[in-house]
Amino acid sequence: MPRDRLARRIRWTLSVAVLMAARAASGQASQGLDSATAAAIAPIVEQARAANLPVALLYAKAREGQVQHVPVAKIEAVVRTLADRMRTANDALRPGASEQELHAAADAIKSGVPPETLSAMRKAGGDGSLAVPIGVLTQLIARGVPVERASMEVVALLQKGAVAKHFIALEESVRQDVLAGRRPDESLDLRLKGIIPNLPQSANADAAGLTTSTPRRPR
Amino acid sequence: MHDINEERDEVIRRIVDELKTLPPVPADATARVLARVDAARGEEGPSRFSRRFIISLPAAIGYALAATLAGFLIRGAVPQRPEPAVTRTANSPVGETLGTRRTVVRVAANTRALQEAPVKVQFVLDAPRANSVTVVGDFNAWDGSKTPLERDSTTGVWSALVDVHPGRHVYAFLVDGKTWTLDPNAPRTKDLDYGTQQSVRMVGMP
Repeated sequence: MPRDRLARRIRWTLSVAVLMAARAASGQASQGLDSATAAAIAPIVEQARAANLPVALLYAKAREGQVQHVPVAKIEAVVRTLADRMRTANDALRPGASEQELHAAADAIKSGVPPETLSAMRKAGGDGSLAVPIGVLTQLIARGVPVERASMEVVALLQKGAVAKHFIALEESVRQDVLAGRRPDESLDLRLKGIIPNLPQSANADAAGLTTSTPRRPR
Repeated sequence: MHDINEERDEVIRRIVDELKTLPPVPADATARVLARVDAARGEEGPSRFSRRFIISLPAAIGYALAATLAGFLIRGAVPQRPEPAVTRTANSPVGETLGTRRTVVRVAANTRALQEAPVKVQFVLDAPRANSVTVVGDFNAWDGSKTPLERDSTTGVWSALVDVHPGRHVYAFLVDGKTWTLDPNAPRTKDLDYGTQQSVRMVGMP
């Protein structure tokens, strides 16, 4: 093949590749956001990407603001706060967290859950996903259970081997109780009595003649 | 009998000794063989096939660059799976039975991925006068175009089945593309970031 013809082909291939890359990059950067919002959050996204955080959550938060016609400055501030929460959550859930867990943990921190509780949950929950337990913790707090109390009980449940179905059942029961007029913390006390005896580690403790103690406060 | 055996052994020994001895090799034999090989290579040259595909260094660099860019493109265009979560090894019964940390990490990541697999969740809104209804929430990245609800022509009820990961999710309906509408059948919460009311859905594992 003559050299100039080959060079032309290479130039053409490179040009097409560069154009496609630029197009893909701009499409990916905007993620369905208007240009002003995309530009405002771009530095935050880049920092998060450098820290290996899932930037999709940041784009989603920006879009949440955009769909509600929130001003760009407010969206930028909210996305920055979320990035900070994700960093805190990621540290608390070391050595690694899935995107679903980070999403749940960032929401929990927003609700006032301290990072130490998330670390205690990771320690108590083993290799299982914490997305549901953290979500239930956030929802219990949203229903009016004090943060400290809800945190303590959720960690204790994980220590006793509770899994997602137990947490979902607990949350649903508390929801119905609150709808029926019961106080949230009172309902939590009541419903825990129905769940704890059925947990694997509670059963083991009973079989060994051990008494269940009041859950310790997460460190 | 003993003599016969000794005689046979002696014969075998001689045969072995004879076979062990190599014929004498001329001192310049190696050099001559190598010279013939070099000459044969020079005569043949590159084959027609290889000549056709030999390219210059600049062309090779160009192709390499193009391939690299194409790789980046594909990487950007194809949705990436979330990176497997690295999980701890301490207190892990899996680690005790299976051994290496690498195995433990892989098994734990798979366990978590299975637990976080999306499940179908139905969203329903009774809005007989609406022209369109979509659901927006953290499960579809608040993208109204992703999840339109379908209207039941007899009842006027809008519904959609959506893949949602287990966990707590917040959402709302967008009626006629603009009206923020809460789910009357779901609990509500105030979003502390933007200050709006949202519906809440707890989703369990499959």
